[in-house]
Amino acid sequence: MAKQVLLIDTDDAHARALQMYIRRQQYEVFIATSNEQITVYLDNQTWDIIIAHTGTTSDTGPILLKFKETHPLVQIIIMAPKDELDAAMVRFKINAVQYLQVPVNSTALDLALEMAGQQASLLTRVDRYAARLEDLHLERNTFNQLFEEVPCYISVQDKNLRITASNRRFKKDFGSLIGGFCYEVYKHRTSPCRQCPVVATFKDGRSHTTEEIVTSKHGKQYNVLTQTAPIRNYEGQIAQVIEMSTNITQIRQLQDHLVSLGLMLGSMSHGVKGMLTALDGGIYQLEAGLDQNDHKRVVMATGQVKGMADKIKKMVLEILYYAKSRQLNYETKDTEELARNVVKPISALTLKHNIIFSVSIAQNLGPVEVDSQWMEAALVNFLENAVDACLFDRKTQTHRVGFSVEKFDDQGICFTITDNGIGMDAETKNKMFTLFFTSKGSQGTGLGLFIAHRVIKYHGGRVAVESEVGSGSRFIIHIPFKKPKNGSIIDGRQKGGH
Amino acid sequence: MKKKILVIDDDLNVRDYLAAVFKDNGYEVCVAREAEQGLAQARAEHPDLITLDIEMPGDWGPRFYRKLTQEKALKNIPVIVISGLAGHQYALVKAVASISKPFDREELLSIVKDALMN
Repeated sequence: MAKQVLLIDTDDAHARALQMYIRRQQYEVFIATSNEQITVYLDNQTWDIIIAHTGTTSDTGPILLKFKETHPLVQIIIMAPKDELDAAMVRFKINAVQYLQVPVNSTALDLALEMAGQQASLLTRVDRYAARLEDLHLERNTFNQLFEEVPCYISVQDKNLRITASNRRFKKDFGSLIGGFCYEVYKHRTSPCRQCPVVATFKDGRSHTTEEIVTSKHGKQYNVLTQTAPIRNYEGQIAQVIEMSTNITQIRQLQDHLVSLGLMLGSMSHGVKGMLTALDGGIYQLEAGLDQNDHKRVVMATGQVKGMADKIKKMVLEILYYAKSRQLNYETKDTEELARNVVKPISALTLKHNIIFSVSIAQNLGPVEVDSQWMEAALVNFLENAVDACLFDRKTQTHRVGFSVEKFDDQGICFTITDNGIGMDAETKNKMFTLFFTSKGSQGTGLGLFIAHRVIKYHGGRVAVESEVGSGSRFIIHIPFKKPKNGSIIDGRQKGGH
Repeated sequence: MKKKILVIDDDLNVRDYLAAVFKDNGYEVCVAREAEQGLAQARAEHPDLITLDIEMPGDWGPRFYRKLTQEKALKNIPVIVISGLAGHQYALVKAVASISKPFDREELLSIVKDALMN
């Protein structure tokens, strides 16, 4: 499209002569000979070049300067008589691209027009670039915000698995160490992981997905779903890999809980059915005893009903312990008193089943910080387990259960529970603290030892087990005198196991 | 002559209950708390019927049944499964009946009566 030129000259004849000449150079030329015409043209049209003959009218200068201010891309060429050129230069300064002396030399006019044309194109391009740059800047800000705020962990890694960039969420949970190795930051490892999705993406240029367990800078473990994608350079080579990890810890916990709830229902229903049958039996015996006026049978049946009620109560409590997170109520308890409270119910139980129960409680054990209700229940559970192990064993004539309490290294208390019962094979030993595992057939729910073990763990303690099939078992339980820093919550819903 | 029933169940309370129900209804009863003892009792007592739990420490119900039916003198003794295990009716398809715990007493007695008549 031809460039638009406005020619301002009050000398109409001079203006027309110039118009003719300039048109030949493929410009579209309009003439304004009065201030009114100038105002109309400037207000209603866009101009590439304005050629103004100054000196012909005194008002042209301010109008043009004002127009240049609002239209910086327009190129102004000033024509003036020789004695007015200096004054024109002072007035327009660099706002004009060229100053020509009147009468105008055609070559000088050609050059001025060309220069103005080039300048106009250059300025238009610069203007366009500036606009693009602004767009780019805005886009960059948007992408940056997206990168920072996206609700997952993002890191960019080089071939050596060094992190070159990371987003805000990543920095918050894993620190802002740029240049650190991914495996160090994410997993606190000293060497790369075996099946690294980033390495795989560097190899084949494809996206890879894995599920990982990562450790935050505060030592917290998260389940994350990790996806990778290559970042290529101008040559199309993979220069870096972006790794996005979504925290799915809550989903996994929920899933585990649902699975264990399913397991619990299955496991419970069998145990509950057995108990209900036994309760039916007790009631039947009671009714039959009353019908036949058989006092002995009534007494026996009452004991049976009572026993079943206790069993059902214990099972319901275990389910409740398992189903709900609880706060541990620590108190300073005299260790000897704690031990005596545990011994009481077991003495009655062993007496009933003709088992020799030997107790050894050391002197001056001192106080211990525990939730006594939980701790006593856990120790009773370990001891009941020892009694059960004796009851299941038919080979040994005389059964013994032992319970000893002593200090260990002035750091805490050691409870040792022994029995010469049926003993455990390796599999039972490995699984004994797993949720819903029982080796007692319909007699067990698989909750007792799981909860007991959790209680010891949450008190900062540990349980060691020695056992041999046919010889019996030994449980060695250590608990510290003082409550641990993080041991305030029992969360029965967490997964079982050691 | 009184018919004799062998009750095999690892739960003492259930064992006592079944024994009492059967005795009160004119049967002679012997009991065992697990498979091995049950087999010994079967050999010694030659019962007319066995009630069998499925899940017990040691051999479970189906393995007991296999051992029982390997012995010529015992293989024709009718067995009734009484179990709280889900799907127990599929555990021993050759049993004359499979009853869920907790059971209906009258229904159990009726099944026992039928099994002994056949």
